[in-house]
Amino acid sequence: MSSLLKKGWRPAAVLILLLILWEGAARLFDVPSWLLPLPTQIAEEAVTGSALYAPHILSTVMLSATGYFAGISVGVFTAVSLFRVPSLQQAVYPLIILSQNIPVIVLAPLLVIWFGFGMMPKVIVITLVCFFPVTIAALDGFRQTDRDMLHYMKMIGASRRQIFWKLQWPYALPSLFSGLKIAATYSVMGAVISEWLGASKGIGVYMTMSSSSFKTDRVFVAIALIMILSLLYFGIITAAERFALRSRHKGGSPDGPAHT
Amino acid sequence: MARLTLDHIAKSYGSNEVLRNITLSVGDAEFVSILGPSGSGKSTIFQLIGGLYTPDAGTISLDGSVLNGSRGHISYMPQSPALFPWRTVLQNVRLSAEVAGIKPDEEQMKELIRSAGLAGYEHAYPDELSGGMKQRVSFIRSLNAPQQIICLDEPFSALDEFTRLEMQQWLLSIWETNRKSILFITHNIDEALFLSDRIIVLSDKPAAVKKELTVPFARPRTEDLLLSGPFLQLKREIYSELRG
Repeated sequence: MSSLLKKGWRPAAVLILLLILWEGAARLFDVPSWLLPLPTQIAEEAVTGSALYAPHILSTVMLSATGYFAGISVGVFTAVSLFRVPSLQQAVYPLIILSQNIPVIVLAPLLVIWFGFGMMPKVIVITLVCFFPVTIAALDGFRQTDRDMLHYMKMIGASRRQIFWKLQWPYALPSLFSGLKIAATYSVMGAVISEWLGASKGIGVYMTMSSSSFKTDRVFVAIALIMILSLLYFGIITAAERFALRSRHKGGSPDGPAHT
Repeated sequence: MARLTLDHIAKSYGSNEVLRNITLSVGDAEFVSILGPSGSGKSTIFQLIGGLYTPDAGTISLDGSVLNGSRGHISYMPQSPALFPWRTVLQNVRLSAEVAGIKPDEEQMKELIRSAGLAGYEHAYPDELSGGMKQRVSFIRSLNAPQQIICLDEPFSALDEFTRLEMQQWLLSIWETNRKSILFITHNIDEALFLSDRIIVLSDKPAAVKKELTVPFARPRTEDLLLSGPFLQLKREIYSELRG
């Protein structure tokens, strides 16, 4: 906890300073609150209007969590199959990159046309944004496997399966977790964007309703909620990483296995 | 009786001829060193024995059966320890048996670790060990494999002089109670003379067997041997052989 305090005070101080500047400047120039609400007004709305957004949070959490798990499952599966079947990798890798070039904002209405307004198109959107960082990070991890260890495994006659599960998979875990963390923050974004397209509940819905009625302070509350959710997810995955890789931190560098 | 035999082995990579007509054998419980200059293709010999590549000509056989290009017949200790950082010492030692598909005897592994002077480190991770300790774990890992022949690829070349001498004596003491056949690659004349029963001297590229000599010193050997007359005499002989 003390280390959190030690590392955390700088960004916290900057954040508070920015909020004070914002408050001061907005008061000084008398900016109308529908254009730019004061931080204090936003905080007040966050407290007094909590009954308005509370049900939306749960809905977004459910949606993003479902999409996240679908996304990382697809991501890990894709990475493992591409790595173990090199010809598949040559064939499919460009397509995977292309899949990230389709703007979600364009794709989402199409998915609504195909799949309706239910969970399905929304989960697909989140899956699409979440699988990519996981696949790329895992593939990189597999490829960077230590050459000496690989040579040792080959020399003692390990099968391809043994080499993968005993060496390449554990070796890639730190890298895989980087992908999982990026995907965690993307999943909240993906959920909010997919909610814009037609949902009855969710932070995205709350946000669109607020902005179309010029309740700017509520838009900022929504932004804060998205940030908090993203940070929370990131924290959860970081904790899972610590737990999964706990044995590697003894005497090693904090960012993955120490190689000599 | 010869266990591992290489018979007229040749290997080229494209136009690069690496091995020419290599013939050698390792007997039961025998310690044989391959001595040659750096880059003379010593490691290629191991890659052929390990089955990573097939020789262009000749046969490699173990106990009479040909194993050109077939893997899993030897145990191996690489130049760098190549211990898996997420496995404890005990788990690393277990790896070689695991890969061979054998359920290792927990007590025997612990005994091996004790004999390596690593008692108390069974559950330590490689990061916590010194360079010499890692190499000891690496050697025990190769001893714990079911295969009866171990190939060691310049295992001590990255260690400092003091640690190396210590490691050589340790290796001999372990080996004398645990007699497997050993094929040892080195470019260090002292090391080859001190450790081996027989030395095979290779020429520069393309590598061919230049000379084969039996080391007459009795076992167990101590470090006094390193400065004795006959030792230095043999060393001089090998040195001139490598030079000329």
